[in-house]
Amino acid sequence: MSQTLLQLTSIDKCFGGVVALREARLHVRAGEVLGLVGENGAGKSTLINIATGLFPPDSGVMLLEGETVSFANTRQAADAGVMVVHQEADLFAQLSIAENMLLGRGLERGPGGLINWRKTNATAEGLVADLGEQFNVTQDAGSLTVARRTMAEIAAAVSTAPKVLFLDEPTASLTVKEIENLFSQIERLKAAGVGIVYVSHRLDEILTLCDRVTMMRDGATIETRKKADLTMDTIVSTMVGREMATTNAKRTVPIGDVRVDIDGITAKDGSFSDISFQVRAGEIVGLYGFVGAGRSEFAQALFGIQKPAKGRVTIDGVPLKMQSPRKAVAQGLAYLPEDRLVQAVFREHALRSNASVTLLPKLSTATVIGSRKEHALADKIITEMNVKAASMEQPIGTLSGGNQQKVIFGRWAATEPKVLILDEPTRGVDVGAKAEIHKLICDLAETGTAIILISSELPEVMAMSDRVVTLSEGQVTGEFDPQSDDEATIAAAAVPRSTEKAAAAISPLKRGIARALQMRELGLIVFIALLGGYMSITAPDTFANTGNFLDILKNAAIPAIMAQGAMLIICAGGIDISVGSMMGLVGAFAALAVKAGMPAPVCLALAMAMGISFSLANGGLSLVARIHPIIVTLAGLSIYRGVMRIVMDGKEIMFLPDGYRALADGAWLGIPKVCYYVVVVTALTHVLVRYTLLGRQVLALGNSESAARLIGLSKTKLTLFVFGCSGALVGLCAVLNAAYYGKVQANTGVGIELQAIAACVIGGTNILGGRGSALGTLLGALLVALLYNSLVLLEASSYWQNIFVGGLILAAVIVDALVQRLRGAGA
Amino acid sequence: MIQRLLNNREFILFSVLCLLFAGFSMTTEYFLNLDSLLSYSRYWVAPGMLAVPMTFIIATAGIDLSVGSIVAMCGIILGVLYRDYQWPIAAACAAAILSGTAAGAVNGGVSSWFRIPPLVVTLATMTLFRGVAFGLSKADAISNFPPGFKLLGNGDLFSFTLNGSPVFVPIALGALLLTMIIGGIILRNTWMGRYTLALGENPVAARYGAIPVRGLTLGIYTACGCVCGVASLFYTAVYGTARADAAMGLELEAIAAVVIGGTRISGGQASVVGTLLGLLIIGILKYGLDLSGVRSQYVVIIVGVLLIVTAVFNEWMARRAGESK
Repeated sequence: MSQTLLQLTSIDKCFGGVVALREARLHVRAGEVLGLVGENGAGKSTLINIATGLFPPDSGVMLLEGETVSFANTRQAADAGVMVVHQEADLFAQLSIAENMLLGRGLERGPGGLINWRKTNATAEGLVADLGEQFNVTQDAGSLTVARRTMAEIAAAVSTAPKVLFLDEPTASLTVKEIENLFSQIERLKAAGVGIVYVSHRLDEILTLCDRVTMMRDGATIETRKKADLTMDTIVSTMVGREMATTNAKRTVPIGDVRVDIDGITAKDGSFSDISFQVRAGEIVGLYGFVGAGRSEFAQALFGIQKPAKGRVTIDGVPLKMQSPRKAVAQGLAYLPEDRLVQAVFREHALRSNASVTLLPKLSTATVIGSRKEHALADKIITEMNVKAASMEQPIGTLSGGNQQKVIFGRWAATEPKVLILDEPTRGVDVGAKAEIHKLICDLAETGTAIILISSELPEVMAMSDRVVTLSEGQVTGEFDPQSDDEATIAAAAVPRSTEKAAAAISPLKRGIARALQMRELGLIVFIALLGGYMSITAPDTFANTGNFLDILKNAAIPAIMAQGAMLIICAGGIDISVGSMMGLVGAFAALAVKAGMPAPVCLALAMAMGISFSLANGGLSLVARIHPIIVTLAGLSIYRGVMRIVMDGKEIMFLPDGYRALADGAWLGIPKVCYYVVVVTALTHVLVRYTLLGRQVLALGNSESAARLIGLSKTKLTLFVFGCSGALVGLCAVLNAAYYGKVQANTGVGIELQAIAACVIGGTNILGGRGSALGTLLGALLVALLYNSLVLLEASSYWQNIFVGGLILAAVIVDALVQRLRGAGA
Repeated sequence: MIQRLLNNREFILFSVLCLLFAGFSMTTEYFLNLDSLLSYSRYWVAPGMLAVPMTFIIATAGIDLSVGSIVAMCGIILGVLYRDYQWPIAAACAAAILSGTAAGAVNGGVSSWFRIPPLVVTLATMTLFRGVAFGLSKADAISNFPPGFKLLGNGDLFSFTLNGSPVFVPIALGALLLTMIIGGIILRNTWMGRYTLALGENPVAARYGAIPVRGLTLGIYTACGCVCGVASLFYTAVYGTARADAAMGLELEAIAAVVIGGTRISGGQASVVGTLLGLLIIGILKYGLDLSGVRSQYVVIIVGVLLIVTAVFNEWMARRAGESK
């Protein structure tokens, strides 16, 4: 008997009153593959999440190699050798696939702790090659197919030499070839003594691969058996074999004409294809399939959430416009979504407004909601659906899951739909409420509504449906009569099998455009050159001379340095619009200090310290209060400027000493001093964001907070770091600006935050975070300065300058949004 | 009972207002003069009007930083059309309101169509619209508006006598109250208001609940632009001149009034009555400090600090309420 690696016993877990696990067990041995099967909601994911440290169990014991362990987070679990590859990887979409694979372990670093990208990419490529795969690991993870992302993630997990490896539906998006590669890799790991837990709905794979299989149902582990003792039938019957619901609510209802005719509807992303069936008035058609079968995607296509690629649907003979939920509802379709909390409930709003939301325009006269009508509607729903609530003004979030679901059901029933799609209507609902919802479904069918009942609970489907359509891997695999066909036959039809899946195609033209638009630095250089060329021709005397070029550089300098700080904050997913005012205030303090006789270097240090503390206050406040930095920095913008005006008392600070002015004024080797600062700061930020682990972590945070947490990054630490950096640069700029101009005025620094933000976004920094470039930002700042200069020389009034800053920001973010959309179509 | 009153935002705000009132009337001479207070209220009209659509915008978890710039731009359009193109003043006013509406439509259109956060869009248009104001006016102040127009600023709706001295109620104040009432009714009593709150509470559920999310967003920002246009008329009339650098920082006052009034930055909960009380608190504070001879710089700082403190307080209250459930 092989050695036990991981043992979980008597694991209980509740989520807000809903039992997810009861006395669950899991026993993983070294050098074996353990299959874990169960219907959706059986508790497999919860068990995995507990074993891998995402959250703790309410009670129970976990032993790793005979010693009691409890993991505070996924990081600790991974360090102890317990790893998981999730079905839908949460990843850093704008970082390369190699970086995604290796960031958690600190990438490959060379001397000085700097990242060696060549080595990192080579390592990643090697790992991928071990899985028998070959693809470009330097691509952005977001542009990769789901299959390759999964393979990359498996490769990364395998490379850490785990003791126990959980694979959650790894083959859901893989092709047959990839599955073969994966299986041989699993065999190799098994031979090396790794304990593998393989979760899948595809029972053929389970039977090929696993040594033992643990079966779960309703949050409990029913039993574990050796492969030799199992057949597909025994697994299916154990998985679905719960006692039949005692309340058999189904009533026979006369069935009328065809109400909805679905003909060949096919998804754009390949999640389902060529689905056709009809539902008649009063008929309930059960749509049975496992997660990933494309059930919800199909329903959402009909409801107008996600347009299908092709296919036709008619309701009572009228073609359904699958464009928006509003149009769908107007045509008599209703959809009760699967995820109640995310897709249906307005948690903090009253039961009354939750009930009436779909009917508001009908309850209103001249847009004013008829209060009496609304109360009557809510009353009716409460009585008819038997909702247990203290009053209709109670926030719906305080009701139990079953009562919430009844309200949502009532909301849709009240629209008197011709066709109603119910997506897991009884998930997370207690037995009593379940029976009531079943009765309500029949009531509705009685009124002639055609009902499509999506459920992954086979007994429910069997009991409630007049007809069952099975869906597997996005395709209809059979149609059954629940009276004459038995559960096993229907379940067997729905069980997913490894099939060849066509990768979603993306047009090469779109990909080309997206790629061209992404080469931002090159584009900027070309644009700057073109503008420069044009100016040299139109204004040869005034533009094309050294003096003017130096002017442009000098004007670009301060915004360029400020922009590097702004870039860091934006990369981390924040924003600071107070930096202009902050710069003015710090400049005023520093100027007063130097006039009081303090030596210039001390003043510079003081200014930077002040900048850092103000900026940390901005970042810290938004972290502590968990409010968006825009609010804090909007207030900061006024506060700093107000304090500055008080400090300056209506006067300018002039006649700064020469020693101070020498910090920035003048030139070295014929080039303005300020330019050297720009070069140094740009070089430092470039190294920071490109070659240090810290910089990459900042980008990772901006890409995905949740994925960053999974690899153990601290949002607080990284946020404070970028705000600190920005503050230091603000301090530096405050001094340089005062030294350069020789004075500080009340409006010093006004609007510079916008120039800085403009330079960032023009330079290719994603305003939503996660991607940024120091060189691009520098080029952005140069472009802004060049544009200003050109406008002045062309004698366009300088008053129009602001339009260009605003217009450039807008244009840059719109281009980014379009690029995202083009790429999104490919992912 | 006390617990419930303490959890009632309007009650807290009202108490704060009373305390402010009591404090200023004890410490500041001339504070308790209703006529001068009402006369001063003209200066709240523009920020107050903006605070109404801002309540809707923040209720959807959005923000509009460009309102001050739109007011300045509309004022300049009004002035330029009247002075340089000799348009009749009524037509110039209509053009100003229309331009404001168009500016709002740009904000709403870009952010809903390209799915760019309104924060980014309005940050850009804040500069853009200000730039248009500067470009059209060449930084020149425009005044000499006809007396009929100036009535919007200095005219009185009616007067009454209180303790033997006359009290005049400005037209502008009437317009502000009318805006507040209309906004309050739309938010509380119409499906548009209900949709707005639903969108802020849970945008995904709003979409699945068949709420026209894009159209609603576009509508709210467009309406905000329209109100900015109207506010620009009063702003220009009250100050007597149209300037490109007018209405600087108006967005801060409007947002502060909304947030102090209890509308959550994360959306889903809003009250126009709260916004009115928030506006009154800021207004009384400014008026009182002004009378006490405190310089305007301090007032800006106080408004900023008040905004941060209440935003922190709101989130803390909401989280506490969430935990106690």
